[in-house]
Amino acid sequence: MNRAPLIFLGIFFALAFSWTGIVLTNHLSYAKLQPVFDETEGKAFPQKLPGNAERGKEVYRDLGCVYCHTQQVRQPGYGTDIERGWGERGSVARDYIHEKRVYLGSMRTGPDLRNVGARFVGDAGRDWHIQHFYDPQITSKGSIMPPFRFLFETRSIVGEASPRAVQAKLPAQYQPPAGHEIVLTQRGEDLISYLLALKDPALYPEEAARVYVPKPESAEKKTESAHPEAAK
Amino acid sequence: MASSLTASLNPASSPDLAKRAELSAIDASTKAPALYFLGSAVLWLLVGTVFALIASYKLHTPEFLGNIEWLTFGRARTLHLNAVIYGWSVNASFAVALWLMARLARAELRHVGLLFIAAAFWNLGVTVGMVGIALGDSTSIEWLEFPTYATPILFVAYALIGAWALITFRFGRAKHIYVSQWYLLAALFWFPWLYSIAQIMLLFEPTRGTVQALVNWWFAHNVLGLWFTPIGLAAIYYFLPKVLGKPIHSYYLSVLGFWSLAIFYNWAGVHHLIGGPVPVWVQTAGIAASFMMVVPVIVTGLNQHLTLVGAASALKYSPTLRFIVFGGVNYTLTSLAGSLMAMRSWAEITHFTHYTVAHAHHGMYAFFTMVMFGSIYYILPRIILKEWPSAKLISLHFWATAGGITLYVVVMSIAGIQQGLAMNALPVGADGHAGSPIPFLTIVANTIQWLELRTVAGVVIAIGHIAFAINFTWMLVKPRQPGTSEPTLFRHAPDLEVAP
Amino acid sequence: MSSEKTKLPPHIPAEQHQRAEQAGANDDSIQKVHAILLREKPEPSEGFTPLPLFLLGFISAMVFVCAVYVVHYRGGFDPLVYDERFDAEAAKAAASAPKELTPEQVLASGKRLFQTCAACHQATGLGVAGVYPPLAGSEWVLGKEDRLIRVLLHGLGGPVQVIGNTYNGAMPAFGKIPGGGYNWSEEKISHVLSYIRHEWGNNAGFITKDNVAAVLRAEASRAKAWTQDELAPFAQ
Repeated sequence: MNRAPLIFLGIFFALAFSWTGIVLTNHLSYAKLQPVFDETEGKAFPQKLPGNAERGKEVYRDLGCVYCHTQQVRQPGYGTDIERGWGERGSVARDYIHEKRVYLGSMRTGPDLRNVGARFVGDAGRDWHIQHFYDPQITSKGSIMPPFRFLFETRSIVGEASPRAVQAKLPAQYQPPAGHEIVLTQRGEDLISYLLALKDPALYPEEAARVYVPKPESAEKKTESAHPEAAK
Repeated sequence: MASSLTASLNPASSPDLAKRAELSAIDASTKAPALYFLGSAVLWLLVGTVFALIASYKLHTPEFLGNIEWLTFGRARTLHLNAVIYGWSVNASFAVALWLMARLARAELRHVGLLFIAAAFWNLGVTVGMVGIALGDSTSIEWLEFPTYATPILFVAYALIGAWALITFRFGRAKHIYVSQWYLLAALFWFPWLYSIAQIMLLFEPTRGTVQALVNWWFAHNVLGLWFTPIGLAAIYYFLPKVLGKPIHSYYLSVLGFWSLAIFYNWAGVHHLIGGPVPVWVQTAGIAASFMMVVPVIVTGLNQHLTLVGAASALKYSPTLRFIVFGGVNYTLTSLAGSLMAMRSWAEITHFTHYTVAHAHHGMYAFFTMVMFGSIYYILPRIILKEWPSAKLISLHFWATAGGITLYVVVMSIAGIQQGLAMNALPVGADGHAGSPIPFLTIVANTIQWLELRTVAGVVIAIGHIAFAINFTWMLVKPRQPGTSEPTLFRHAPDLEVAP
Repeated sequence: MSSEKTKLPPHIPAEQHQRAEQAGANDDSIQKVHAILLREKPEPSEGFTPLPLFLLGFISAMVFVCAVYVVHYRGGFDPLVYDERFDAEAAKAAASAPKELTPEQVLASGKRLFQTCAACHQATGLGVAGVYPPLAGSEWVLGKEDRLIRVLLHGLGGPVQVIGNTYNGAMPAFGKIPGGGYNWSEEKISHVLSYIRHEWGNNAGFITKDNVAAVLRAEASRAKAWTQDELAPFAQ
């Protein structure tokens, strides 16, 4: 029984050690991660999300998008994220400093979304998302993403048709009955705003200075596989 | 046995019998809370199974229930996870931990009325959390999805339960602290700290950027490694020698296994972030710790294997032993697989694929849940003083769940590896240059067959759960039989004085 | 453990405990209790088989391998390093070694820098009549490097003749000169000058930062802007 205090001490130390090493050290060092001012663009990066995109992020949260989509681009040479056009560079911690919630995700049932705002841009991007949310099969045949028709509302036209009606963007078989229109709910609008805003800037100078540059002789070997030394 | 013959003639003559009578009093003291925890656990198991089947089906047939917002995959999957983790697994953990602690400390649970209330609070918290998720208040932080209005209820419940376990330990008559108790004490201490720190640093005072991811995976992986694993191991360390009537092979292996687990498991959680936007040094530390986990796993596996060896024929008879051994073997397998997966070259393939899901179910189901089943088969007769009504249902339960989870893990591992290899491939084109990546939708199409097989595995597992629930309920409602009884075993074993 | 004696009921010896329990319960339940508990094996205990030696060797090997791994892939424990192969010394060496940009990169850099110049010379390179001279087709831009570099380094004042027209603005100093405001590096100056020599139909040679450095050294003490006449010798 007198071993109990010893056991308790060991148990406590084990947890304190890992929390200090994993969490506390990084919590302290991240305080130095500030936005970087880019002279040529005249702005500081990363940028905060605009208001309606922040609301859209709440929709992303409540529908559980994070369980199928990641928001982290892996480093060049590790996986094929960059070759897939999911980003121009690997994601770094500074990209996320403004985010109140960080939805890195852990499954790619669907593609990575970190830079989806660079792949689907402006009005064309908005239209793509409208189609994709109404029925993923419209844009992505064979996709296993579920439909999100509850982000839309089919309602009868009262007086004039709404300028926000979206049925024109949907194929023939999705048209509402005569005298009805389909509009996005506010949640749908916000979610699409969020997705259109997801885009990372160019690599920050301090991180760029720490990018791995292989020695010239081994440059050819690097293009084949990720890490020659990774297997222990 | 001669001693039992004399005992039946004159119970008072054997000192051993005094100990057994003491145990019976201890068992009786745990009855109300243990029964409530176990009953709740079985209910949540069924709820979690329903959501599991819905989520699994939706993944290969996305239109299924597609217009019901509260069942959208992102919520259905979350409801499944929280029901089976905080509903089934934690309730079962509480029941088993309290019963084991009482027995091993040789102390009766006192003021169990308050403990009963704590159990009610826990289940209230889980219910409120589940409804919150269905309504859209999930935090979308993995393993921490309950909205913040549900977690204080859980905290109150846990505080009471944890305190009770410690009080029981403190007032126990046992002088020697048996290995199961180290694991239980450790688990009971670690869990509230993990959960509270995660709640504070992720929800109440969110920390900056991807430090949140570090906290999240430090927390979630440690719930596995510092709560469920110790409880599972504590159960194995109790029931294995108990059923076999043999001592644990080596106290020294137990000590080594416990402390190496405590040190290395803590750091392993970062392996969820390999290749992610966190400093590479902490990723390397997580990988090294994950690799070092081979030590406690091999040591514990060796200890348990060497205890079982020579007496394995009892597996033919004892349901408890069968479930426990299945669980123990899979503990070793899933942990070794996990150490492999942490290597960068493997992680490059398996990250973000169905392989991760297979691995998670391998640990939480094939190890932890099966050990809980085995424990329940042993504990319940002793607290309600009845035997399990049907050996056939136990057999169905075992084969359906063991077969189902094996199919699940194999199928989803293949799916994940195939998915990962295809995701990373840059096939060389006809012109000799490294080509474009394989289109994402092509890779998705190739996983469908495995996802469908996973639903099949889920149905098989569900059948096992239904058999278990029927047996459980039947046992509770059937009248107590007077006279001596026989344990419900797979096979009649008159020569073995073995308990189920 | 002695303090517990004050809190628990006094410890009853085995035999009395047995009888006390029997007295309070009926025969059937005692039979039941005893039946279930009788058939139980004794409570679990630990054996004391010593640790196998190979295990200690195995564990030492594991610790060694993992320690080597951590040291090798620590990325200098630098929180801004995301690639485990990153080697701080090698990176420093590579950074200090001259980095050769491709011509396209030079022109792209110059174009970004030109945004500052466009305020006066206009994005079209046509300038403002009477005030800011054009750069498109300008003999100053297409002509001798020495004169052009000096204009940008130290600035230009007083009336100037460009493509037959007179302009009377005041160009500030962009170089790293005593009392200078912009303090552009030799590299930046070389980039923007190369850009204007290749834009708007212009086509003259690239200017390197070594060119700029040489001029800066030659004019190390100069602090005031040039006039057209002062620069005449450099136009030959």
